[in-house]
Amino acid sequence: MALDQKNAGPTLGRLNAQLDQGLGSFLATIRREKGITRMLILLLLSFAIFALLKPAIFLNPLNLENIAIASPEIGILAVAMMLAMVTGGIDLSIVAIANFAAITITTVYSGIAAGNPAQAAAMMPLILVLGLATAVLAGLFNGFLIGVVGITPILATLGTMQILNGIAVVWTNGQTLYGAPEALTSFATTTVAGIPALFLFFLLIAAAIAVLMNRTPLGLKLQLQGANPLAAKYSGIGSRRVLMGTYLVSGLLGGLAGIVFLARNPTASADYGSSYVLLVIVIAVLGGTNPSGGFATVAGVVMATLTLQIVSSGFNAIRLSSYEYSIAQGLILIAVMVFDQIHFRRRKARKDLPDTNPVLP
Amino acid sequence: MSDVLARRKQIRLADLRGANNEGVLALVLLVLVIGMALISPSFFTVGTLFSILRGAIVPMVFALGVLIVIISGGIDVSFAAIAIFAGYTAVKVSEAGGFDPGLIGVFAIACGIGALLGLVNGAVIARFRLSTLIVTLGTQGIFRGILVAYIGSRYIADLPGSMSAISTANVITIRAGDNDAFLHVLVVPVIALCVLVAWVLKRTMFGRGIYAIGGDPEAARRAGFAVTRIQVALYVLAGVLAAFAGVLHVILGRNANPQALVGTELDIIAAVVLGGASIFGGRGSVLGTVLGVLLVQLINNSLILVGIPTAWQRAAVGVLLIVGVGIQALSAKRQSKKVFVTEETGA
Repeated sequence: MALDQKNAGPTLGRLNAQLDQGLGSFLATIRREKGITRMLILLLLSFAIFALLKPAIFLNPLNLENIAIASPEIGILAVAMMLAMVTGGIDLSIVAIANFAAITITTVYSGIAAGNPAQAAAMMPLILVLGLATAVLAGLFNGFLIGVVGITPILATLGTMQILNGIAVVWTNGQTLYGAPEALTSFATTTVAGIPALFLFFLLIAAAIAVLMNRTPLGLKLQLQGANPLAAKYSGIGSRRVLMGTYLVSGLLGGLAGIVFLARNPTASADYGSSYVLLVIVIAVLGGTNPSGGFATVAGVVMATLTLQIVSSGFNAIRLSSYEYSIAQGLILIAVMVFDQIHFRRRKARKDLPDTNPVLP
Repeated sequence: MSDVLARRKQIRLADLRGANNEGVLALVLLVLVIGMALISPSFFTVGTLFSILRGAIVPMVFALGVLIVIISGGIDVSFAAIAIFAGYTAVKVSEAGGFDPGLIGVFAIACGIGALLGLVNGAVIARFRLSTLIVTLGTQGIFRGILVAYIGSRYIADLPGSMSAISTANVITIRAGDNDAFLHVLVVPVIALCVLVAWVLKRTMFGRGIYAIGGDPEAARRAGFAVTRIQVALYVLAGVLAAFAGVLHVILGRNANPQALVGTELDIIAAVVLGGASIFGGRGSVLGTVLGVLLVQLINNSLILVGIPTAWQRAAVGVLLIVGVGIQALSAKRQSKKVFVTEETGA
């Protein structure tokens, strides 16, 4: 070792040591975050299967671009769901929040554009902020109900979902609104180095949430809160503020998803993406999020989003219906949970771990 | 029925608000009825009562199934999928076979299917101890997918003779000029089911087992309950109830549509929770559930009468849910604080 160092010079030796250490910690990360490896395998596997079955349709650049454009809206919602699940909760209202933000933006924008199109275009950023603000308010309301009043997350977000959805139906008369900002539509069709801008937007948001989860006090607190609420309480973590923060962020993400809805198909309606609630839970769980709280990775959720999008478009390519896709979703969800549970039990039997995997409602 | 229940509870309210706040709920119902009668005198008729009862038939049976699942500490969002799966398949089978199995035959086929699908839920949940919400979300997608992809996606308007015959049958008919009032005959089996489920929950070991599991599965196991078996059985029962409701829905709607009943799950769960059932399990009663379902039906009915568009129904049920559950949560919080204080002073 010392001889090597002398021969190759000290710099190279240090680089080597650094690389060695870096690779080691990288491998450790992979081993620790089993969700990521598993997802990577599933992602590559599903891609390979459909690429082999129908290469002409599936590997078509247009199809790949479609996958990249369809993923962001679902992916952002899944990241929001993941955040709620990390604290041991769930956010059923997230799709309703997204639609509400989209409807707000469309209504205000088309209202101004009817009088003065140039002014509407100029006020676009302000209108988008307004849409995000409604989403944040809805998220804060969820946080208030869950953190302050003490309602179970399922019921609280079920209620907000009903309320937001109900108001949206009344507001739009149950019809589809046209007239989303043109700037958003053109954003959806731009590509940067061949990659759709929407997809990059999604990755940016995912990265921001990953930083929030792993590098900020709030992120640490919300993971601890989910891992053991009682222990978190006695450690002086104010669950009220943590929950408010969590649902505020998940509301904000809902609003961002609403903007992506508008960018991708320039209409807004109260019942857009009603099947997304199930899909988003499937993605979050598939991505390694523990539904009882405490554990999740953003990378896992991003890969799970891509995997399901690949399965969806692959099903299309081999001419299976959306109902068969819904069967596949359900089967994947249950299979992954069963697999995790068996894995957990085996680990528990081996290490004689305490039974800390409670059955949640 | 709501009036009778409400009045009887009202008398005892002074000293008893009911184990699951049934008394408070009855009071709210009563206040609402009186308020509605004052605002719109046309509301206070037998016809309105009968139409509310008719509207409550299907939700009531659903709610019974959801109630037993919630008491056991779970939550089920697949029951609407089971219901339409069973109801549609039963009609489809008799249509394809070219025979009329009779009412009992249709119910038997449907309930058999419901039991089977419930068994799937129960087996997965009990065997692997998974989150019930997520399992039933998964099976919901599977059941609905299988129904539309492999069994049928066609709307069937011609029901077997026995089913279409009963869809217009009334048990009570009051003729009063243009205010004719009809009470649908299917109210009778629903009342019978309510009594039956209440009896099972109160008087059988199986019923007490459901409460015990909802309170604490480990404690139930140590107390000698066969937790896994009870859990499987209760999901089978919930599946049968859902299938029964599915057939009722087909009969009342006079058509079988595989796309029906989508998105009604949450309204039912809201009604059951409003009826005092605890989402954490171990608490809930049939009486409270009946009151909860009637309350939601009353709200839906009365909004139109007061001149509020029906579009507001969803939002109104949401507000009702949050207010109802919020009050429960706040009182539970106060309760736990009280205990804490007395413990401290005691020590």
